[in-house]
Amino acid sequence: MGVAAAALDYDAELMLRVKDGDSASFGQLLDKHRGSVVHFLYRLVGEQAVAEELAQEVFLRVYRSRGSYEPTAKFTTWLFRIATHLALNWLRDWRHERNQERLDDGPVDSPYRRIYDREPSIEQQLVYQVNLDQVRRAVAALPEKQRVAVLMHKYEEMEYTQIAKVLGCSESAVKSLLFRAYETLRARLAHVERS
Amino acid sequence: MTCPIEKGKPELLAEFAAGELDMETASALEQHMAGCGVCRTRAAEHRAVWEVLDVWEAPPVSAEFDRRLYRRIEAEARPSWWERIVEPFRAMPLRQLVPLTATTCLLMVGVLLERPGLTVPATRHADTVRIDQVERTLDDMELLGELGDAQPAPRPHANVM
Repeated sequence: MGVAAAALDYDAELMLRVKDGDSASFGQLLDKHRGSVVHFLYRLVGEQAVAEELAQEVFLRVYRSRGSYEPTAKFTTWLFRIATHLALNWLRDWRHERNQERLDDGPVDSPYRRIYDREPSIEQQLVYQVNLDQVRRAVAALPEKQRVAVLMHKYEEMEYTQIAKVLGCSESAVKSLLFRAYETLRARLAHVERS
Repeated sequence: MTCPIEKGKPELLAEFAAGELDMETASALEQHMAGCGVCRTRAAEHRAVWEVLDVWEAPPVSAEFDRRLYRRIEAEARPSWWERIVEPFRAMPLRQLVPLTATTCLLMVGVLLERPGLTVPATRHADTVRIDQVERTLDDMELLGELGDAQPAPRPHANVM
């Protein structure tokens, strides 16, 4: 994306205002992207506290870079590139101490209640927990790049072109990554009961 | 449309399930799937995976998130002790800054060179004084001891008797 095209990106405009000293625009960017960045990081690292800490670092880096910011790419591409870089580094540093058993969502904090209108039965809760656990494990077991691509595609609804820019590869490479990832998930999650 | 699986393009079925195909391709594929059970099953499986993934919702962001971030931003914006020292000299022209720096350096060198000369003799002097005092005290005690031996103290019982 060139400068002209990026000019259409409202986020980039906001960032340019931050560059000019308008801190309210930074607040707008934070409001708009806080959720998606934290959620993306949560699914990538598996712990909410770590995800929030990494997201803080992402926004701090954005703020620190305001002086040298140039809208050479879509703002969210830049944002998710920083987030991905930080999360993968964190995973590489802590891999020997972590395993996916430590995913910290218990039944109490789970978003289960938002799915069902009525109070779920014990059986429904169990099914939900089992499904959730299987989904997390299946996604966590994907190779790093495939996992990042799936999280951006499925949960952040990003387009192939944007995912390609975040991962620094071609659009066809992203399509191939995603296809392999979804094929693996299809095999691993075929038995999972839909709620 | 020819069968995507036979054609070696099974990714079309995953893309169809994810809603990524354009209208024309999607409708052609739907027509094909009406008569192709293999493709229909594969597409349904991909659709099922897509729906199962929805189970994984992320918890809400903590209410403290923004406050913590702005606190960190403020902390970074606050100047460090070094910046606070240097700040008044930033606006100073180089012509004034060079002699000032040179004078400060000379003063610091002077203090460093002068310090050992001042402190070491002072300590030595103090040590000498202390030794003298101890020697004098010992002499006094010896003298008192000798005086005590020469004039024995009177016995209290003798006076009573």
